[in-house]
Amino acid sequence: MTTTQPSKLMASVIPEPLEESRITVLHIGNAQPETVDFFSNYRCRLHFVDLFAELPIHDRDDNLPSLAEQFDGLFSFPKSTQFDVCLFWDIFNYLDDDAMFALQVALRPYLGAKTRAHAFAVHNLRSPRNEKCYSVRSVDVLGEKPWEQPLPGYAPHNQAQLKELLTDFELIRNVLLSDGRLEMALGARVHAAARDTDKTRQRVIL
Amino acid sequence: MIGPSIVIKGSVTGDEDLLVEGTVEGTIELRSHEVSVGTSGTVNADIYAKVVKIDGEVSGDVSGGEKVVISKSGNVRGNIIAPRVTLEDGAIFKGSIDMDPGDAAPKKAPISAAKPANTLAADDMAPGFDLKSG
Repeated sequence: MTTTQPSKLMASVIPEPLEESRITVLHIGNAQPETVDFFSNYRCRLHFVDLFAELPIHDRDDNLPSLAEQFDGLFSFPKSTQFDVCLFWDIFNYLDDDAMFALQVALRPYLGAKTRAHAFAVHNLRSPRNEKCYSVRSVDVLGEKPWEQPLPGYAPHNQAQLKELLTDFELIRNVLLSDGRLEMALGARVHAAARDTDKTRQRVIL
Repeated sequence: MIGPSIVIKGSVTGDEDLLVEGTVEGTIELRSHEVSVGTSGTVNADIYAKVVKIDGEVSGDVSGGEKVVISKSGNVRGNIIAPRVTLEDGAIFKGSIDMDPGDAAPKKAPISAAKPANTLAADDMAPGFDLKSG
């Protein structure tokens, strides 16, 4: 059953719909009707990448694709793509340090100085496990429904750890929710982005 | 209608609405009309139509001049281009949705309605279906 929760930060991540402007959105997770309906007010391109269906995502045996190759395969966007909005929801709670790094390296070519992102995390590791499938109903209200089964690989990072792991995003603002979750608004760091991608990707492969 | 036991490989064009309950591989191009993929329909093809309703399975890009609707039983893997897209609860979709197919495309608000971008005049289409093997 879908319930709702207020959002204090989504309005700072998603711009107002303007007739002349077009936005490109990355939605991590399966396509939700409410999200599609919400963005139908925009001139936009919505990319859905269901990383939750790929969990657990971690380094595998030598004969299997590396983390970098896994993410490159999942993030096969047109070369000209530059995201205005990335909706990560709580995917960071399911990615270990290496996977966090590989995800950001794979996304790096598609980030720009104006890219904004939204995510949920936990304040500390004592925060209760709270796993939901999210959607956007409005910039003030999010839809959420429980997963049918617990997702594998749940291993959240506390606030300080997560800040360290966010190599390509900086925290703009966060809000501590009553259940111990953190709602986060992020901005992309464009640090010689595409130029460094090949080097860092080699590091991930190694 | 393409019945459940029918398999078409090639290009489907025409000047009337189409319901697919069978299998189509190739291209479906009915830009002035509605294409419905029924619950038993399997389409491995790009679809170009004014309105596309999907209750079955589609693997391919879908272009709707007016709108695309994926129902709760629908399963789509591909990219969608349409001014308006509706996903019903339970629908499965993998890909991207482009809700800005061109300057002439109507938006829900605040832009006023305009002629659908990909719609051809009826005279441009031959009557009946044209099945080209490929």
